[in-house]
Amino acid sequence: MRTSNLIQSYIQGYPSSDRYNADKAVKDFDVNKELANRTFIKPLPSNGKLIRNSIFDIPSQIRKDILYDCDAFRHAAKGEANDHELGRLNDVGMKLGSLAIASYLFTKKQTPMTKLFEFIGFGTFFAAMDLWPKLFIQLPAYLIHGVNVRQQYEDSFGRKKMFYQDHQFIPWDLYSDKEINKIGDRLHVPKDIPNRREFIQEKMRKIALQNNTLWMLTAGFATPVMSALMCNILEEPVSKYLSKVKSQKADKLMSGFPDEVKKYKFEENKRALQQILNENAGKPITPELYETITMNLTDELDYMISNGILKDLRNKIPLDGKYNLSETNLSDISDAVRKAYSGINLSEEELTKLVPDNQAIIDALNSRGLFNGDFSDFSEHSKVIQNLLENRIEELSKENPDNPVIKKLKFNLKQLIHSKEFGADSELFQSFKHISSSVLTDDMARMLIKISEAVNKLKAETTVLEEYSFLKAAQAPETGLADSWNEVEKDIFKAMKFTPEEIKKGRLDRELAGEILRSKLEAIAADKTAYAEFVEVVQKGLSSMHDGMSRIDMTQDATKNSYKSHVDESFKAAAEVFKSLGMENAVDSLIGFGDKNATSAKALMFEFIEDRKLGVKSSFYRLLSLADLYHRVATGTNISETLHSKMPREIKEECVELAKSLMLEGHTSDFAVKFWQRRNPEPNRDDFSDIEVGADGKVKNKYYGNVPEHKVELANDREYFKSVMKLMYKEDIHPDTVVRLTNSGLLDDFRNYRTQAFEVLGGDEYFAKSHHLVGFAPNKSTSLFRFLLMGAASDEMAYKHFNNVFNSKKWFSMFGKLGAALVAVTVGAQFFFGRMKLPKNHTQEVK
Amino acid sequence: MISPISNYNGKTLSFGSDKKEEKNVSYTRDTLLKNNFVTRTRIGLDKLTKAFTLYPAKGLAGNKNSNFYEFLTMGNVPYIIGSLTLMSVFNSANKHFSPFSRVNAAKIGNKMALGVILYGVFKSVSKSFVNLPVKWLTGIDTELPYAKVNYLLQENPEDYNNLTSIEYHKVGESVDFPRWDQLYGNPQKGESVNWRYDKIAQKNGLGQNLNDSDQEVKPIYKEVLVKSNLAKSFSSFLWAATGVALAFQKPWEDYFKVATFKFWKGKEFLHSLKIFGESFVKSAYELINGDKKSLSKLERHSGKILAGTALASTVIGVINTVHLTKKPNKQNPKKVISPKKESVVC
Repeated sequence: MRTSNLIQSYIQGYPSSDRYNADKAVKDFDVNKELANRTFIKPLPSNGKLIRNSIFDIPSQIRKDILYDCDAFRHAAKGEANDHELGRLNDVGMKLGSLAIASYLFTKKQTPMTKLFEFIGFGTFFAAMDLWPKLFIQLPAYLIHGVNVRQQYEDSFGRKKMFYQDHQFIPWDLYSDKEINKIGDRLHVPKDIPNRREFIQEKMRKIALQNNTLWMLTAGFATPVMSALMCNILEEPVSKYLSKVKSQKADKLMSGFPDEVKKYKFEENKRALQQILNENAGKPITPELYETITMNLTDELDYMISNGILKDLRNKIPLDGKYNLSETNLSDISDAVRKAYSGINLSEEELTKLVPDNQAIIDALNSRGLFNGDFSDFSEHSKVIQNLLENRIEELSKENPDNPVIKKLKFNLKQLIHSKEFGADSELFQSFKHISSSVLTDDMARMLIKISEAVNKLKAETTVLEEYSFLKAAQAPETGLADSWNEVEKDIFKAMKFTPEEIKKGRLDRELAGEILRSKLEAIAADKTAYAEFVEVVQKGLSSMHDGMSRIDMTQDATKNSYKSHVDESFKAAAEVFKSLGMENAVDSLIGFGDKNATSAKALMFEFIEDRKLGVKSSFYRLLSLADLYHRVATGTNISETLHSKMPREIKEECVELAKSLMLEGHTSDFAVKFWQRRNPEPNRDDFSDIEVGADGKVKNKYYGNVPEHKVELANDREYFKSVMKLMYKEDIHPDTVVRLTNSGLLDDFRNYRTQAFEVLGGDEYFAKSHHLVGFAPNKSTSLFRFLLMGAASDEMAYKHFNNVFNSKKWFSMFGKLGAALVAVTVGAQFFFGRMKLPKNHTQEVK
Repeated sequence: MISPISNYNGKTLSFGSDKKEEKNVSYTRDTLLKNNFVTRTRIGLDKLTKAFTLYPAKGLAGNKNSNFYEFLTMGNVPYIIGSLTLMSVFNSANKHFSPFSRVNAAKIGNKMALGVILYGVFKSVSKSFVNLPVKWLTGIDTELPYAKVNYLLQENPEDYNNLTSIEYHKVGESVDFPRWDQLYGNPQKGESVNWRYDKIAQKNGLGQNLNDSDQEVKPIYKEVLVKSNLAKSFSSFLWAATGVALAFQKPWEDYFKVATFKFWKGKEFLHSLKIFGESFVKSAYELINGDKKSLSKLERHSGKILAGTALASTVIGVINTVHLTKKPNKQNPKKVISPKKESVVC
């Protein structure tokens, strides 16, 4: 061990010259001078240095910091760390704790976006903690004063510290005179003042202290706000990025389908089944065994398919309800008797006399020919046992007629033979039914293994296919279709240019939102240019949505659609196996009779995507139809077939109003009941003029709304229903709409949609208004299809949109303003920092 | 000569608050304080008040007496303001939303706000999970406070009065330079000089009636300081994370429906407290047991993992702290210094 004390050794006397190492001496260091003026007793020369890292040094700096922290942890665990190391470890603990929060909340969130944002939130929070002082304190201070208030230095032990951390101990010696003077020039400190360096130092210290204090005062506001704003800004790019990633992930599922299928290890089920079959080979198939086998086969399988398989298995594995009797059964019978008498206070001797042994039971059953053979009905067996027991009770009674338990024994015998509960077998009855006469044969085992292989393969394949269809089209946040919806909806409503006041009002109520949307659309419809621009936006949005969803177009041929072809192949392959085994129910549930059943599991794989697409497409086509209707009404184009010259103007006005309202806010129920509108039962039949439309696109009603009395629903006016339907969906679309849609290839699809809507919604049969049909006969359709064809009501879309926009903008406005004010105050404060008066005759204030 | 840190005297810097402080000064020299609730509360309030008033005022004026203690004390400001701002970020815009949006936003906002509160509470309380067992097992109080009389620099040449300020530190605040002097007894009061060191020595099996118990105890005292500091650094933040996770459990929604701080409305306030307790217990249960309906195994067990990690960090931290490796060697002193090796003794 070597210990020394440098100062002590010098106090003892001058160091001898042979211990002086010239190589390590400081330049211009005169040892005699230093010793003579007694300034020798002071800390050794510092090995510290100012840290001047560039952005390119960050990676190496991070590595160095991590290594330092690891060392610090090692030292602290051994109880040997210093203050600086412990301080660093506290920061590490804080980051670890925050990471733990993000990780926990990550597990609680359901979608990739929300999960990812837990970590983005964590990252932005620490980024904000770091960036706020750098961008809004350090940078402005440097630009204004030329002083780096967050200068770092490395001390003699290689520890990284803030230069102005402790204002009582600032290591000024790390700055050379040249550097200090340069900063002094930048601070406009006169060159001729005494102790210029110290004056500059004091000024630098003051600026740094003021900035450090400002940092402490503002960081609490700045960090959460800055972090939240960063998250807000990142939301859109991250969403787009994730959407792209998810789309690529989904496409990869199809392009690498065989490999993806292999990832799902359903072979475990086959191995388990094989083990069950090996253990029970040649043994009777008990209900428990049958259930174990079927559970294994249908585990995690679609209900419809498993139902089909179970139906077939009942035929393939005969559980005819016949059972054998053996030694085991006999013990069970004895046990059942013993159990029935367990509540009665009997001596062991009495019990032995009462409970028949196996041989007694065999003899009794054999005497009636009831032991050997297959039995399905055990009522005769029960009688035999009953007689046997009755005889024994009688014998016991004869031995001791006063025995009080005799009555109880007789009562319990009845309980044993007859069930306590209606319809349930007695315990005695159950004890006969243990050994099925059906046996698990090798052929059966082979068949079951074959079924298992087919089922497991199908399960793996459908898992991949369902994951694909979920990622692309499920009704859940952040799926491909949901992302497309959000994108198109945002673009369309943005194109309508709602004012902040309209958004603020519209978000309160659906009715208000509808009114605002209607006014806006009417105004757009009245202006040819505005309408053209609007339709173009809608067309672009729909085209991009169509492009995005082209991979899940189920109308395509299977050769062009990988999802469709994989579904086809997977279900057909499984169906082939079941067909070869004669399992028709399973085949039917998979692909339907002749591969044409619309309710087969395979058809549902397509139907799911088709339905989702139809719902989304209809919602936007409905909005386009709405705009087109308003434009036709505003320009008087393509409405004359409905609003013809023989229709009174008052009815025309009613018809237009209803069509406009229905398109905007109608639900399938409105179409189902064939509309409901309070109308004038005695309209003016002298005025057959056309409707008038103002410059704002609104109809100038001459009658509608001006006839306050006697308004009723005219339930018998079926022509009126037809007129409204025709005005909405039958009249051709406006040429301006046609022009915009022609180039995109959406025109035919849009026309088909309108025709379908006209026929399906207008052909729905309603018992109270059975003749209100657009055609001659009712159009048969499901309520789901009508619902999907209607799509979302435009006013509801607007209401949700207004709410989303308002909420985001309100939040952004509140905290954006707070952030801006904070930046202004923080940066502005710099101009008041570092003010000092010059000493002595220099009276001018230095700014 | 040894140069002063600064020879510049800014005449413009003067603080009225110094005079107020003068009245409060009750210590003439550095004084060890009792570590009890009253002292901790008094110190906490003193530091909190000054962090929001005196220290920022001094700092913004560039006062030459501003020091690292004041800077660190001001660290409470961003903590408190940041917590309030974080709550505000998730709640203050809600009142402008439509009722449906407001209800949905409030569900998350309330949990966020509660998360911020439980973060602070769990972080503070969890330090006791280390401090108390360590004190109980080693006799070393790592949080022992003392009042430090700080001598100030003159604001101007005429200023000779009131050149002190009081700071509240902990004896073991710096592991490099613990204030050993504060642990010595005062013979003038009839105390043994080493009585505190004696107690620690005895508690840790170093023996009784030692000649220099202070020298024997100092290495292990320092070891306990370092190790307990490490344990607290990690466990307290993990407990804080557990507090946030607890705040995000569904049962709290019952509490938010009845939550009130209007203590003057006795019945409502008591009901609110009762539901708070119930929600706390239910939430703790849900955190540990997870959402059983969840298909994700990770989601079902994440709460258990988080709370388990926090608990494990505390237990391991305490075990490591009380496992002392720096106890003095009980060997014959002659054998401690090897005669075969060179030694320089000062």
